[in-house]
Amino acid sequence: MFVATIHFISAAEAQSDSLGFSPASFFTDHPIQDRTDDEMRIIAEKAFDGIVQELLE
Amino acid sequence: MVNDRPRLPDGYVAFVKRDCPTCELIVPVLKQLADTNLLGAIYTQDDPSFPSLSVTKDDTSLKMSFLHEIETVPTLLKTKDGSETGRIVGWSKQEWGSFCDIEDLGPKDMRSYSPGCGSRNTDPDLQGELRKNFGEGVSSRIIDFASAEDEFEAMYDRGWSDGLPLIPPTIERVLAMLEGTSRQPEEVVGLAPPNLVTLTVEKIAINAVMAGCKPEYLPVVITALETACTDEFNMHGVLATTMPVGPVLFINGPIRKSLGMNSGMNLLGQGNRANSTIGRALQLTIRNVGGGRPAEIDRATHGSPAKYGLCFAEDEESSPWPSYSEDLGFSPSQNTVTLFPGEGPRLICDQLSRSPDELARSLASGLLGNAHPKLVMGFDCILIIGPEHASRFSEAGWSKDRVKEEIINCTVRETDELIRGAGGIAEGLPEAFAGTSLPKFRPEGGLIIVYGGGEAGLFSTIIGGWLSGPKGSQYQTREITP
Amino acid sequence: MTTSVLDPTAEEESENRVRIKRLTSINGATIGLLDISKPRGDIFLDTVQSLLENAGAKVLRFTKPTFSKPAPVDLRHEIATTCDAVIEALAD
Repeated sequence: MFVATIHFISAAEAQSDSLGFSPASFFTDHPIQDRTDDEMRIIAEKAFDGIVQELLE
Repeated sequence: MVNDRPRLPDGYVAFVKRDCPTCELIVPVLKQLADTNLLGAIYTQDDPSFPSLSVTKDDTSLKMSFLHEIETVPTLLKTKDGSETGRIVGWSKQEWGSFCDIEDLGPKDMRSYSPGCGSRNTDPDLQGELRKNFGEGVSSRIIDFASAEDEFEAMYDRGWSDGLPLIPPTIERVLAMLEGTSRQPEEVVGLAPPNLVTLTVEKIAINAVMAGCKPEYLPVVITALETACTDEFNMHGVLATTMPVGPVLFINGPIRKSLGMNSGMNLLGQGNRANSTIGRALQLTIRNVGGGRPAEIDRATHGSPAKYGLCFAEDEESSPWPSYSEDLGFSPSQNTVTLFPGEGPRLICDQLSRSPDELARSLASGLLGNAHPKLVMGFDCILIIGPEHASRFSEAGWSKDRVKEEIINCTVRETDELIRGAGGIAEGLPEAFAGTSLPKFRPEGGLIIVYGGGEAGLFSTIIGGWLSGPKGSQYQTREITP
Repeated sequence: MTTSVLDPTAEEESENRVRIKRLTSINGATIGLLDISKPRGDIFLDTVQSLLENAGAKVLRFTKPTFSKPAPVDLRHEIATTCDAVIEALAD
């Protein structure tokens, strides 16, 4: 599965359509590049349950 | 050939296939016609031994069937002087009798009517191959616009356009375009990103027609796409980035003159067909064949007008220095295309520097702003030195290498000013780079100098690049092959 | 009069590929974390790694040479043969 920010939802759909493959995905808030380390850890903690849900049956 | 179709024997000619009940049914009729010497040939589409008559000819390649546009089997042609004068399809005892002017055609107990079957050459799966082998030599799907449809709107509706009108790529125009190259239409040039689709010369030609190219531009477009599809250039990355870059091309060699390219006044702007359409053809191909479109895989935040296509020629004739391609070791008679991952052009205005040293410092100062003043070494740049600026250097006897070296030296700054947070600006170099000094550009290849532009105007122009090197894109120069 | 043109597009339809079966449990699974090398992605994945290990997973870390190109074939093969699932992050 992949993790991307919400701004990549349409890009992911477009690439899935053209490649004929739609992997599991989870989208986080945007932006990422200007975040501090602590902010990144919080983003990861908030995303974890959603990520795990995508991995499990 | 008669009227572009192969000659036929005079009299009557039949087209059949074994896998057709009606064709099987009429074998006695065909024998009767052959025995009376009326039937010149039977072209059989699937089994060369069907029917077992001396006039049966093997058309399993479907060449005769394709070129004579057979749609149904059986088809019976009447012929004179090598060409068709009439045809009937299927089996009707009355129709065949009248067509051949024979009463009592076929056995008495024979069914008087049976419809025909589809001719093998109409199989949709075979069209590409047949057209390639016997037709125009192109195999792309034909799309018919209805008579009530405006063809220009129809192309917009299908998503083929970059926003500007397109020239309809009719078969005639594409065939004419393909005359511009010695390569075969089916030749594979590369895998077009982002969808990594097989890219053929034919598909490039179709998009080149739409872009407005002339046939003589096609070799440049093909070579540019060949270059774009390399792992080194990384067209996928150039397309998909949020940065505003696109594939920027500049041309060296005699081909600039033969194509009538602009290397002088307004060379980066509108008005010249070759400059305007060559870059556009590349981008349309990436869009339509590769599947790279804005707001889909193309994530550019702002983009740039250069993404419609940016292509220019270096002014080699007026330049005081050897051309860019000569610096790389190409001879003046070789034609090259350089592909650079670039944003839109930006001005450096210096209307006062008189000495080469002043001007080098001044141009360096303008170049510092490329991407961000505090970011160094990561983004390459093209510097198009205008003629008036160039004369400041050449009249002082400076070679191009010296110009480049002096400019890069003038960009060296203490990294303590450049690290993140320095100057109250969060952007910048990682802390690990503190305590040293760095130039704006990597000394080997970070700054490309090209000569061009109008004779009047104390200006030079920057075209900033994307992430340079293996992690981003490596600009490439390639010889243009016909 | 109809106008006939040649198709400028790829004319290819991708085959649809199906995802492999999902995991039944994180505990005991080997999960690959693929860092696509965009800034801050490593911090994100460090946290995800701790949380996965706390949940009983074995974690293997991988890194793409650059975010701007598809992962090299060898890397893809290594991941496919050593991991039960992979999380790729973080595209922004």
